[in-house]
Amino acid sequence: MIKEKENIEPKTKKTKEESKTPMIVIKDLHKTFGKDNKVLQGVNLTVNKGEDLVILGRSGSGKSVTIKCIVGLIEPDKGEIKVFDENVLNLSKKDLNEIRVRIGFLFQSGALYDSMSVRENLAFTLRKHKSELTAEEIESEVIEALDNVGLADAIDKMPSELSGGMQKRIGLARTLILKPEIILYDEPTTGLDTITSREISELILDIKHKQKTTSIIITHDMACAKLTADRIMVLKDGKIHAEGTYEELEKDEDEWVRSFFE
Amino acid sequence: MILTLRNTFTEIGNATLFAKQFFKEVFVPPYEAKELLKQCYIIGYKSLPLVAITGFIMGLVLTLQSRPTLVKFGAESWLPGMVALSLIREIAPVITALICAGKISSGIGAELGSMKVTEQIDAMEVSAINPYNYLVVTRILACTLMVPLLVFFADAIGILGGYIGVNIHGDVNFYRYMTQIFQSLEFLDLFPATIKTFFFGFFIGMIGCYKGFNAANGTESVGRAANSAVVTASLAIFILDMVAVQITDLFFVQ
Amino acid sequence: MEKQSGYTWKLGMFVTIGSLLFILAVYFIGKQKNLFGSTFNITSQFKTVSGLEVGNNVRFSGINIGTVEEIRLINDSSVVVSMVIKEEVKEFIKTDARTSIGSDGLMGDKVLTISPGVKSTKEIENGGKLASMQGIEMNDIMKSVKKSMDNVGVISEELAIFSHSMNNGNGALARLVRDDKMAASVSNTLSNLESGTKGFSENMEAAKSNFLFKGYFKKKEKQKEKAAEEVKEKKEEQAEKAAKEKEAKEKEAKEKEEKAKEEKAKAEKQKEEDAKKAAEKAKS
Repeated sequence: MIKEKENIEPKTKKTKEESKTPMIVIKDLHKTFGKDNKVLQGVNLTVNKGEDLVILGRSGSGKSVTIKCIVGLIEPDKGEIKVFDENVLNLSKKDLNEIRVRIGFLFQSGALYDSMSVRENLAFTLRKHKSELTAEEIESEVIEALDNVGLADAIDKMPSELSGGMQKRIGLARTLILKPEIILYDEPTTGLDTITSREISELILDIKHKQKTTSIIITHDMACAKLTADRIMVLKDGKIHAEGTYEELEKDEDEWVRSFFE
Repeated sequence: MILTLRNTFTEIGNATLFAKQFFKEVFVPPYEAKELLKQCYIIGYKSLPLVAITGFIMGLVLTLQSRPTLVKFGAESWLPGMVALSLIREIAPVITALICAGKISSGIGAELGSMKVTEQIDAMEVSAINPYNYLVVTRILACTLMVPLLVFFADAIGILGGYIGVNIHGDVNFYRYMTQIFQSLEFLDLFPATIKTFFFGFFIGMIGCYKGFNAANGTESVGRAANSAVVTASLAIFILDMVAVQITDLFFVQ
Repeated sequence: MEKQSGYTWKLGMFVTIGSLLFILAVYFIGKQKNLFGSTFNITSQFKTVSGLEVGNNVRFSGINIGTVEEIRLINDSSVVVSMVIKEEVKEFIKTDARTSIGSDGLMGDKVLTISPGVKSTKEIENGGKLASMQGIEMNDIMKSVKKSMDNVGVISEELAIFSHSMNNGNGALARLVRDDKMAASVSNTLSNLESGTKGFSENMEAAKSNFLFKGYFKKKEKQKEKAAEEVKEKKEEQAEKAAKEKEAKEKEAKEKEEKAKEEKAKAEKQKEEDAKKAAEKAKS
């Protein structure tokens, strides 16, 4: 863990000098599913270093599709995506994977591998990418990552034995174990009770401060947005409808934007 | 009608590309040896009881059913040879493959389907692990290797069942029974049947993985993936069997 | 790691037994086909192999000792068959053993049979050649069967014609069979004939005694003897000679006897004639 921090440090220093380094730049993103299900119709957004961007939008407004395009899970029809100043869409599989290692992605359901125990879930990714680590080192990293999300005692459980909130936290731990510079959260609080939602939101905030990550958080949970957002974007009909801080948007007169706050 | 036909062809085309990717990735590291062993265990060892029971019953029933006809011709002594021949050439490979299609293909279809639906496959993909390599290659390879082994078990247990079947009405010494069997067998009975089972295994794994990997979103698509895996794999087995028998017939039988 | 070893031994066992089953099957089938274990080769040349195929069994004293490995045409009228034989029976096959092709039952496979020779004590070598016997071909059997069947046909046809004419014809035989009157008359005739013959034989006896016919009867007797001689010719020469001498003696004896008889008969005849003359004289 400590070693890893040292690895990251040079980059962090660099970004401190230029405080507004764009980490993710999306220009004119289009995606159509099937014949005429136009999900994205020209999305433009920029996320700067160390910033938490919250994307608000109704179900089916293309929030998830946007972040899946960033990691190359979905290929857009048109547009440009730059991550770490590299055009994701033109990369080879190998180069894309190198970028993917630096991006963490928390799925809606947590997406734990349900054939593996919690320990194996966490160790699996680690083993694949840091094959130089010994078994003991992997074990200690796994325990540390679980400690970060406060679930160290769940290490030998199977995913099916865990509650939804725990699954999401373990999923987060699994995402964090590779020390990503960018984390994409896909509806981190959906399907959880208010208290657990709050815990998760605080965890996101905590990670941001601890690991200096850049994040995009997709949600329609305003409590979560209020807590975590540096900046909020509202997505409507596949386009950015409004943009601003939580406070700014709260005062917005637009009916669509207001509907989120009520 | 034309649309259905087109969809079918699209499906076959996609499956072919899927299979092609297998051959591309199977030789490319990382080799998931541990996962392969685990899958071999699940596919091979765990299917053994089922295969053993069906194999035993097939041998027994085949003997009892063929007996009256042979007795009519006074060719009762051909019974062991005939049963062994039909078991090894046809019954054991096809029945075992069908059992595996039901158990393994649907299992893989459901497993990968649910992984797909719950975004586990995506999760693997974004953490830069090749899910095809980890999930599909290992399963297809395990199926290709394990199904022939299961067929050997089915052969042996089926022959044992045949022995019991023969002894229900008559009294044949075990040694004599085995001699009769091996007298009637040739390599031409064993080898084409064995080669055939590798293909059965490959297709069972491939179709299960393909259906699971391409499950649509939504929970009900998991069930659909499993179901369609069984149906398609069973159909593929019969088609393969026909082709295999024709090829054998063409090249080896004068 | 502990978890892994929990299933690996089961997997290992499964794979081992499965492979073992396959290997055993291969071994036993191979054993049946003499692929394993030491073997040697023999060739033999045939005019025809009557449908013998590669893989057919080779038998020696009724035991399967090997298989046919190759069948090759070497010219338009000969086929060379090479076979693989178990090493352990080599000492029993001598150089003068002969091969033939038969079939295993009426519908069964062809079988190459090696029949032991008589004189040779030298055992055959690897790659040795054995002479072949022309086996009985199914065709030949069928031919001979057909021939006899044809004959039977002809005979039965003639028999049919014969019995038909017996039943319906007007020939003497037919009438004899069917007509009671005819039968009675025939039996009459026969009894007449019998009495006639009696008289005739008496006359003949008289004629024999007559010197005019003497020569003729003698000739007849000689011919009889000659016929007897011909029958006896096949017997050993000595026996024949002895028989001839015997016969010659017998001849002489008979001749003497006959002369004596003749003189007696003459005397009697004369006496009779004298008596007759006397009786006629008395009548007149």
